[in-house]
Amino acid sequence: MNVVVCVKQIPDPAAPQALDPETRTLIRQGKLILDDSDAYGVEMGLQLANQAGGDVVTLVSMAPNGETSGLRTALAMGADKAILVSDDALRGSDALSTAKVLAKAIERAEPDLIIAATESTDGYTGTFPVQLAELLGLPSITFAKKVTVGDGTVVVDRQTEAGYDEVECPLPALVTVTAGVVEPRYPSFKGIMAAKSKPLEQLTVADLGLDASQVGAAGSRQEVTDVSAADERKAGEIVQDEGDGYEYVVRFLEQLKLI
Amino acid sequence: MHFAFDENQLEFRSQLRALTDKSCTPADIREAWASERGWSPSRWAALAEMGVLGLTVPENYDGLGLGLVDLVLLLEEAGRSGLPEPLLETTALAVPVLRDAGGAGAEQRRARWLGAIAAGDAVVAVGTASMPAVPGAGRADLLLLERGGELHAVEAAATRQTARRSLDGSRRPAEVAWEPAPATLLASGGDAVGVLASLADRAAMGTGAVLLGVADRLITMTAAYAVERVQFGRPIGSFQAVKHHLANALIRLEFARPAVYRSAWSLDHGDPEASRHASMAKALAADAATGAARMALQVHGAIGYTEEHDVQLWMKRAWSLAAAWGDAPTHRARVLERILGAGGH
Repeated sequence: MNVVVCVKQIPDPAAPQALDPETRTLIRQGKLILDDSDAYGVEMGLQLANQAGGDVVTLVSMAPNGETSGLRTALAMGADKAILVSDDALRGSDALSTAKVLAKAIERAEPDLIIAATESTDGYTGTFPVQLAELLGLPSITFAKKVTVGDGTVVVDRQTEAGYDEVECPLPALVTVTAGVVEPRYPSFKGIMAAKSKPLEQLTVADLGLDASQVGAAGSRQEVTDVSAADERKAGEIVQDEGDGYEYVVRFLEQLKLI
Repeated sequence: MHFAFDENQLEFRSQLRALTDKSCTPADIREAWASERGWSPSRWAALAEMGVLGLTVPENYDGLGLGLVDLVLLLEEAGRSGLPEPLLETTALAVPVLRDAGGAGAEQRRARWLGAIAAGDAVVAVGTASMPAVPGAGRADLLLLERGGELHAVEAAATRQTARRSLDGSRRPAEVAWEPAPATLLASGGDAVGVLASLADRAAMGTGAVLLGVADRLITMTAAYAVERVQFGRPIGSFQAVKHHLANALIRLEFARPAVYRSAWSLDHGDPEASRHASMAKALAADAATGAARMALQVHGAIGYTEEHDVQLWMKRAWSLAAAWGDAPTHRARVLERILGAGGH
């Protein structure tokens, strides 16, 4: 089985970040790291693939400046190889334009199963995985909290507001996994050293047979028109418990749909 | 010479940091100190799985076969995180002794212990003749012990131990009674002198590396406290007297760091001045850590004296490690002796 894991390399969320005043999008200079939410997908892919039995886990990523640090981390966790698409023409890509590029790259890996995170930590659009599935003509299952593969199908416990649905679909397919689906392993030191020599294919827009006008800012239909500061956190409500405090707690949790 | 760590070494550190940030919090350290062993077998297993414990173990015994330059940042990280597990004793002290000591049965001994250490299945403690008690003796499977100019490898079952108290809840020293036997002999005569001398140098460098991390953590914690704690209507960190304390502690740390890294390099490369470099490393790092501890206590004020505040976890480690394997004055005297000795007085 060929497993493809979509991996985003993002600026370190722990470091201070800035928006480009013109495009109002995140400035992505300097070292990028593996998006934490993708570590779950990588771990899921590694657990589902029987690498000893010839299954291959391929990482696919799109990043500026040929950046590979985040991919190396995922390779160190145990993935077999990686495809990176990097091209100046991709600057300013929106989710759909990214999906078009990565669809072309992913086709090359002939996947049986594609895994992506539910959403990225820096963009949070959460639309890329389903767009990708649509472009590839594959079924998709989102919000997986448990994934099993067997006999040409994938079975998923799909998180819902009330609990979860059991969903089954034929392979090839795309699955998005939630944080907590599995516990990502730490790359071992052997893995870190081995990652240096694992195959990492670097592709440009032209390599994928795409035209520069279809991708990047030129090919994007989405634009950030305004950025404003988030509302200040409001002060909490103080409830005096007169023996009925639990009712407030229950009502509050119900509002949040936690119970 | 340009000295810098390579990508692998930095990545090793960042992965160990990710592991300890999650599984070695102050609450975890307190739990370990209060436990019977003084440390956590599950964290030890995680360190083995990552490859930390096998870092210095030769590749043919399932290790990575790397050196002290590869290890030094990890030891520093152990200090920063307050790691209660005996990483220094295992990777920097015991493994090289077992690896390098010759003599009868050396090969069987390596086969028996080195792979087990890398896998996290064996723990080794080290005690020299000058130590009143052996740190971590009670939790060790094997003890490397010096007596009468000989070095022996003694299995724990063949020793009788009396636990002694320590300031640092993870050190767990014990007085060890044991009988040397031909089967336990690792090195004697000139061989033993060489093995023990290089053990002492590695211990000085390694303890120094852990102390760097301890100093770093004390400074970071105290700087954060100085920003948060308000007195006379202002955060205390805005007062110049407090800033100077913090700045001086940081300067001592930044001057000690390169000395420790250089010492690791010298030991790996058999530099003829490796012993002097190791002593410089220990002296500077011990001063940096005890200085940082004193500063941390001063800036924290009364809260710093309490068991409840986390700063004590690192202060106690600073004090106990500063005294281990020769304190700062002892190592300064060694440096002096080496320099004057070389000039013939």
